[in-house]
Order: sequence, then C-alpha cells, then structure tokens
Amino acid sequence: MAFQQHKLGAAAIGGMLGLSMCITLMFPSFDFRSAESTWVGLDKNLSNGRVIGFSYEDPLVIGANKPITVILDKDPKTGEKIDPPMRAYVYKPGVPFAPAVRHPANTGPTVSQLSLNVGRMAEASEAEGAVFAINRGEVNGKDWDYIENLTALKGWTPADTLRAATDENTRYVGKGKTVYITEGCWWCHTLLPEQTQDWQIFGAPPMLGDFNGEMPTAFGSDRKAPDILHVASRNSSREWMDMHFFNPRLVQPNSIMPRFDYLWGETDAHGNKIDFDKWRTEYKEYRAGIRIYPPEIPEYAGDSEVRALVDWILTSLK
Amino acid sequence: MAIKFDQPFYSLSDEAEQNRIIELWEAEKHGGLWEGNNRLPLPLTFLIALIVLTAFMLTMPIWGQRPTAHDFVEHVALMDTPEIQAIEDPVAKMARVHEIAYQRADSRVKASLERHPITWDDLLNIAPEIREAQASGKYPLDYYSVLADTIVLANFEGNPTADGSPERKQPWWDKGYTIDVFYVIYFFIFAFFVCKRLPHFSRKPDMSNAK
Amino acid sequence: MLIKYLFAKNEDIPAGSSSVFFGFSAIFWFVVGTGLGSFNAAKLAFPDWVTGSEMFAFGHMRQVHVLAVILGWISMAFAMTMMYMTPALGNTKLWSEKLGLWNAFLWNVGLSIGLFLLWMGITSGREYSDLIWPVDIVIFFAVLLPLGVNVWMTIAHRRTQGIYITNWFFGTCTFMIMVVFAVGQSPELFNLTGLTEAYMTFWFAHNVLGLWITPVAAAIAYYTIPKLTGNPLYSHRIGHLHFWSIIAFYSTPASHHLMSAPLPEWLKSFASVEGVLILIPAVAFVANILLTMKGKWSMFVENIETKFSITGVLLAIPLNMQGGFQQTRAINWYIHGTGWIVAHAHLALLGMSTFLEIAAVYFGLQQILRRKLYSLALANFHYWFVLIGFCIYWISMTIAGLIQGAGKIYEVPYIDVVVAEHPYMIARWVGGTMVFTGNLVWLYNMYMTAREGTVVPAGRYAHEMAYER
Repeated sequence: MAFQQHKLGAAAIGGMLGLSMCITLMFPSFDFRSAESTWVGLDKNLSNGRVIGFSYEDPLVIGANKPITVILDKDPKTGEKIDPPMRAYVYKPGVPFAPAVRHPANTGPTVSQLSLNVGRMAEASEAEGAVFAINRGEVNGKDWDYIENLTALKGWTPADTLRAATDENTRYVGKGKTVYITEGCWWCHTLLPEQTQDWQIFGAPPMLGDFNGEMPTAFGSDRKAPDILHVASRNSSREWMDMHFFNPRLVQPNSIMPRFDYLWGETDAHGNKIDFDKWRTEYKEYRAGIRIYPPEIPEYAGDSEVRALVDWILTSLK
Repeated sequence: MAIKFDQPFYSLSDEAEQNRIIELWEAEKHGGLWEGNNRLPLPLTFLIALIVLTAFMLTMPIWGQRPTAHDFVEHVALMDTPEIQAIEDPVAKMARVHEIAYQRADSRVKASLERHPITWDDLLNIAPEIREAQASGKYPLDYYSVLADTIVLANFEGNPTADGSPERKQPWWDKGYTIDVFYVIYFFIFAFFVCKRLPHFSRKPDMSNAK
Repeated sequence: MLIKYLFAKNEDIPAGSSSVFFGFSAIFWFVVGTGLGSFNAAKLAFPDWVTGSEMFAFGHMRQVHVLAVILGWISMAFAMTMMYMTPALGNTKLWSEKLGLWNAFLWNVGLSIGLFLLWMGITSGREYSDLIWPVDIVIFFAVLLPLGVNVWMTIAHRRTQGIYITNWFFGTCTFMIMVVFAVGQSPELFNLTGLTEAYMTFWFAHNVLGLWITPVAAAIAYYTIPKLTGNPLYSHRIGHLHFWSIIAFYSTPASHHLMSAPLPEWLKSFASVEGVLILIPAVAFVANILLTMKGKWSMFVENIETKFSITGVLLAIPLNMQGGFQQTRAINWYIHGTGWIVAHAHLALLGMSTFLEIAAVYFGLQQILRRKLYSLALANFHYWFVLIGFCIYWISMTIAGLIQGAGKIYEVPYIDVVVAEHPYMIARWVGGTMVFTGNLVWLYNMYMTAREGTVVPAGRYAHEMAYER
C-alpha cells in the first residue's frame, strides 16, 4: 500500500485476516462438530467432569467437586452380582455434569441421539446427582457407545452406588487428572502417541472421537519422558507407581523425573505424621552405601493427591 | 487513485499519481528515516519462486503418511515360506522377511517400510486381518491403515471412484492442498497490485532535501 | 519514581516516561524469566537438586518461565519500543503518556498476579494459555487494549502523510494480537472442548509468534538499523512484501503444530504448504535489512546496538529455514515433540526477537534518558554472554532433539534416550545460566546509565558520542 492509503490498507488487513480465519477456524469446525465420540471419549468425559483446571466448582484446582469412578461387582439396588464388573461414574448432588451430558451435541450426532433416547441422559439433574455408565447400542447396523443414565434406568442413587463399591473399588479419576494438570506432568509426558511413528513402543495413537468434550486436552507438546497414554497397559503395578512417585530413582536409577513425595501430604494412611527428613537422611545413607536397603516409603492416606493420581493412571491410561 | 493497465509491469499508477508519490516521498521524513524505492534483487525473486515451488512439492499430502495394509502384503506372503519357518528367532525371522520384501517393493512402499518397522508379533497379529481383507475383496488393501497390531479402514476422502463414492486413501492432492493453490494465487495478485501501484523502481526519489 | 506520574496531568508527564517504565520492567522480567529458565534447566540436569516442596517443582515453574519471558520480557520490550518509535515515526508525540504509564503499571500488576497463581498450580492446563480466564480478561483489557489504543491513536494523529513500515506493523500487530488472544482464550470462556480446544490452543500458540513476536521484532529492526546507520531503508516495496506476506502466510499454518494429532488431514496439508511459504516474508525481511547496511558494515563491529540488531537478523535465517521445513510431514515425524523444537522455540524468542529488542531497548533508553551508556565493556560482556549462552543452548538442544528423534524411530527404550541426553541437559543449563548472568549485568548497566551516564547534548544521538569509560 503506497503511503497514505491507510484506509484501504486497513480493509485489506481485515479481509486477509478474515479469509485466513475462515479457512483455519470455520472450516475445521464443521469437521470437529461431526466427529462421533468413541468409548474413550465418553469415558474421559464422564470421569473428568465438567472442566479440569480452574473453574467455578474448583477455583483452587485441588480436584473438588469432581465425579467419582467406581468399579461395581454387584448391583447397588438389588445386590445381584455383576460379572464382569462394570464401570460407573458417580456424580454426587451438586457436582456439575460432564460436557457430554450438558451439551449432548459434543458427543456427535448419532451418539447423542442414542444417549438421549435410549440412555435417558436428559433426565439426570445436577441438584440430585446421578450415576452414569457407558453402554453399546446399534444404529443402522453399526455399533455405537453411548451414555446411560442409571439413576433413571435402574434407580441407582449416588450414595447407594458409592456404598456398594466400597473404597477399594473407588477410583478418584477426576481428581487424579487435576493433579496431573496442576503438577505439570504434561510438560514432559505426552498423551499423544504419534500417528506416524510411536505404535510399537507407546501403543496406538488416539482417534478423532477420543477427545470429544474433553477440557483441557493437554496432550503435551514437548516429550522429555515416555508417552503415557497407554502406560497402564505396560505396567499396572500400584506398588511400582507408588515408589516411582515418591522417588523415581528407587525404581529407575537413571530417571530425571522430579520426586513427588509432597503429594503424600502431611499424614500417612494411619494418621501419623510423615517424617520426610528422616526418610531423606536414610535415603542418603542408602545412596552412600551405608544402608543395604532403601527406606520404606510411607503408606499414603485415602484422600491424598497421590492416591488420586495413581487411580487416574491405572484406570484411564489403559 | 486511477489504475491503468497499459504498462502493468512498469507501474499501475498513471504519470500524475507517480509524480505525486515521488514528490511526497522526497518531501517527507519519518522521524529522520526515509525509504528507498529499490526492487527486490532478481536472484531473490527467483528464490521466492523457488520457495513457492518447494512448498508445494515438499508438502504433497502423500509424503509422510501412515503405512497401509498393502505395504505388508509381501511380508504376510513370506511368513509361510519354508525359508522363514526354518528360522527360530523372531528377530532374525523378521529381519529376513523385511530384507526380501524390501527388495521386491516399489519405491513408495520402500520409503514406507523404512519408516515403519514392524515386529514379528505385530505381523502375526495383522496377518490374518490382511488375509481376511484380501479374501473379502470389499476394498483395495491400501484403504486400510496399519495401527501397530491391527488394521483399520482409513477415513480419507480421496478421488471419486467409478460408482461415485470417494477413494479411502490419501490422494496426492486434498482439500487443504487445493485451497492453498488458490490462496497463493490470490496473494500474488494482491502483492502485484500493492507493489506496482508504486512508481517504477527506476525512479529513485532524491532524498537530500527531505525535512 | 515513575509511579508519581500515574496521577499527574498528561501534559506534565515528560515524553518517553512510559517507554522508560516499560523498558526497565522488561529488563527486570527478562532477568526473572531467564533466572527461572536456568533453574528449570538445572532441575532437568540434576533432578535431586531442590526437592520436597511443590513450589520448587519443575512442573510448577516451567510455565512461569515461559510466560514471564513472553508476556514480561518480549511483549513489554515491544511496548517499550512502540511507546517511543510510533510517535517518532509520525513526527508527533505519544497520544497519551498517562495511558502508557497506567498500561505499564497494570501490566506489571496483572502479570505478577497471573504468574503467582500459575506458580501455585492454579492453571487452565492449556499450553501458552495457562493463565486462568479471569487473568486472561485482565490481560485483554488492561494490557492489550490500552497498548493498541495508544498506538492507533498516535498513528491517527501523526503529522506525516505516509506511514512508515514500522508503524504499519505496530498498528496491525497490536490489533491482531487482540483478535488472536480473544479467539485463543475463548475455549475457557465458552467451554469449547475436545479437539476444538486443542486446536485453538495451538492456533493461539502459533499466531502469538507469527502475528506478534516475530513481525514486531522485525518491525523494530526497520527502525533501529536505518536510524543507527543513517542509511535510508533499502526498499519500501520489499518492506510491504514482508508485511503483507506475514498476514497472509503466517496467520494460516497453526495446525502444523499438531501434525501427529488426529486433526482432519486436509487441515494439515493446508498448513504445511503455508508453513513453507513463511520463508517469503523471511527472505524479504532479511534482504531488506542487510541491503540497508550497505556501506556501514563496520558498525556491526563497532556499535553495540547494531551488533545486537544484525545478530538478530542473521539468526532469522536459520530460524526460518528450520521453521519452514521442520513442519512438513516428510520431516516432522522425526523431530516432533523432541528437544529440536525446544531449540527452535528458543531460536525464535531468545535468538532472533530478543536480540532485535535488546538493541532497541539499549538505543531507546539512551535516547529518552539523554544519557550515554554507562559502560561499553559491560554491554559487550552482555552481548557475548547472551550470544554464547544462547548458542550453547541451541546447539545442545538440537543435538539432544536429533538423539530423541533417532530413539523414537529405532524404538530405543526411553530411559536410554534420557541417559544419552544427560550431557546436553547439563550444557543447556550452562547456556541458560550464561544468558541469565549477562542479563543481570545488563540490568546493572542500564540502572547505572540512568543514574550516572554521560549526558547527551540536545540534537545529538547517544551512539554518535565517544565512550568515556
């Protein structure tokens, strides 16, 4: 633009930027909108709740007001045995529903219709709480996963379901994902095996419908550590995870992962104060060759952050 | 503001407009700075043409795609040959299969095989799936992408086939690539107008009197 | 000392005050940002160094480093240069010094709050958009909007008919960053989820670089190099080729950051062609500046500001060569997600744009304060420490990235890659620490310049005067 033609210039800038945003934002949005959610997408949605990260219900990002995932081996209402055990997502009264439930269109045209018509998803109410599960149904000769509202279909209440599951079969997946985000695990670990290369080591890359309704996706961009999307398929030992989080060098001498011992909190599973200084001293002695065995790691409390984190890893990252 | 097209490669402005611009150019300094009216050096004009050419050649959508079931047909056929069955160690088995299959492959498959090594275990898993797909004959084998130990029908929308349905493999062009062609053409038409509205680059403003 | 002007009448505020406020804030945040970077690098090299508290955990500090550098150093230095270049190029005064001072003040406050919350782990979990949405709103209305308004109004009130190329960039980029920021943060505000969110995150991350950091840095060079050398800018038309091709080609390839994610294939194809085409503005920019230097190449050695500026321009060559080609499908599969990308990101921010900005901050602060630089020796120390530190960082991370890429293809167990990378992690820490040290010296040098630098007589330029020290 020559010289003082700034009005023409401003129009040209607007036109160019508009064209570019039309191509890069509007066109892809049609593709994203038509993507049907997969089982993985629905599972992530239902177990994570509305938003991971800062939100009204969780302003301090400590994993408050998140749904709870349970593995049920008996019917909470009738007490009948369920075999194989099923996965259910418990929303206590007041816990905001996942985007897939709040805005069914998020899950794609077919899946949302199944969830609404067959799964009776729209009848759930946040004020009363609800229990959801994922079921499989057929439309036009093809199988689809969809969301079931078990509170409407079977009359399961959140309280009954949690009682039936017991602490042993309860997985704090939503809270665990929150810890993953706040502790910045995703600055080094990715949740994105690459489409062209990674399948042999890190497993299959995610599919188009695996992300519907997830917020934030946080699959990471800078890999300083292994991809962990399918880590629980490679290693499902809770003991290994515990030791690795407390001090990675206990199980992998060459690891550069930070210690996450502070996720244990103040007290251990028995309500005793954890003596980190003593542990470190003993660990130093072990490294120096004075002790033969490393010190035992403390047992963590049921409501500690590390429990939720390990729950998330072992439940979601299969 | 009149645009005239009689000498488009000289200047798109008429003589009066060119004189006005040169006068303004000579009269005005921006905080002690002023600008020359030089052209882009010719080698750099060619460099830009080369960049555009490279951009389209290097990013053709067929480069860097997933392997297809078609790439491993030879592997599957070789699995049952006596030579391979005689080898015990799966790593050695795989190495030998790869060696023979690689020799027989055409250059496109060769490139894919170099990038996508496969283990014997995974080959055992995908072999029956590839045979089944081959037997059913429903789709050509290069419609299937290989995902570690399984094959899936790809979701591409490529060139239309005889019955009107799109091919399910990445064509050498695609929607994005086509948009690019038009986008680049529009840009260069626009850039041509912007540059050629100026006085011709042989007219150098005399900036010695600038305020 | 500048706080007192916040409540003064606009006429009573000395011209350039906001520039000085921004300038010193920028240098301060640069010291903070590189200090955090050095600390983070140390944690990657020596994981057992400081442990036991989440406040000093890598995952809590990495994003603070990134945003302190982008929003604190880079963007504040941009604001600093805009506050003095825009009026100078229009032969006028800044539209409102007071708005500029408030902008600088609120920027520091807003950024401090945002980074503190981030450090505590209160994050939105979106890379480069980590700040939570209430802070995003503060950034938009207290940081970006006043800056834009000030720049646009100054350009509108200019006393020349034409607009110099730098002001085309400034006016446009301040507008585009507002659009890009608003669109980029919309997933949090409107709960856009899934791949849309992932794509928007990187749409923002790409465009904040492409439509804000690199073009504004380039625009700064269009001012500093002709100003320092006294030559006219080589070509008005090449400058505009650069300007328009930035808008056309740099705003489009956002999805090349997600080449291995399940985005629509056509979007990746589109982005990767556009990604190579960013070499067009690069060629135009580098050619224009280097041809402007004709006859004045001795200044590259003799003059500290030119030295910084030209180094930045030269670093733009490898930057764009990498940037153009590394994102194509044919190459991206090898280096995606490796240290190579980290090296490339530092080449853009710590290499090209930082060097161009340092030159403009050196030049601008001396001009506004009317004081000659306190010590040339310290400035040279700064130059060499930042340059050598950066090169160590860049080269070591590039090598580490290639190792990682090879490990990825040949299916090397990941822990072996970690072991192989360890020497480069140490080198990275050494390089980062050198940059940090250089910046500490710079802060001292600029502080002493403001207090004790030789006074520059009216009508003279600081760089024309001989050093006394």
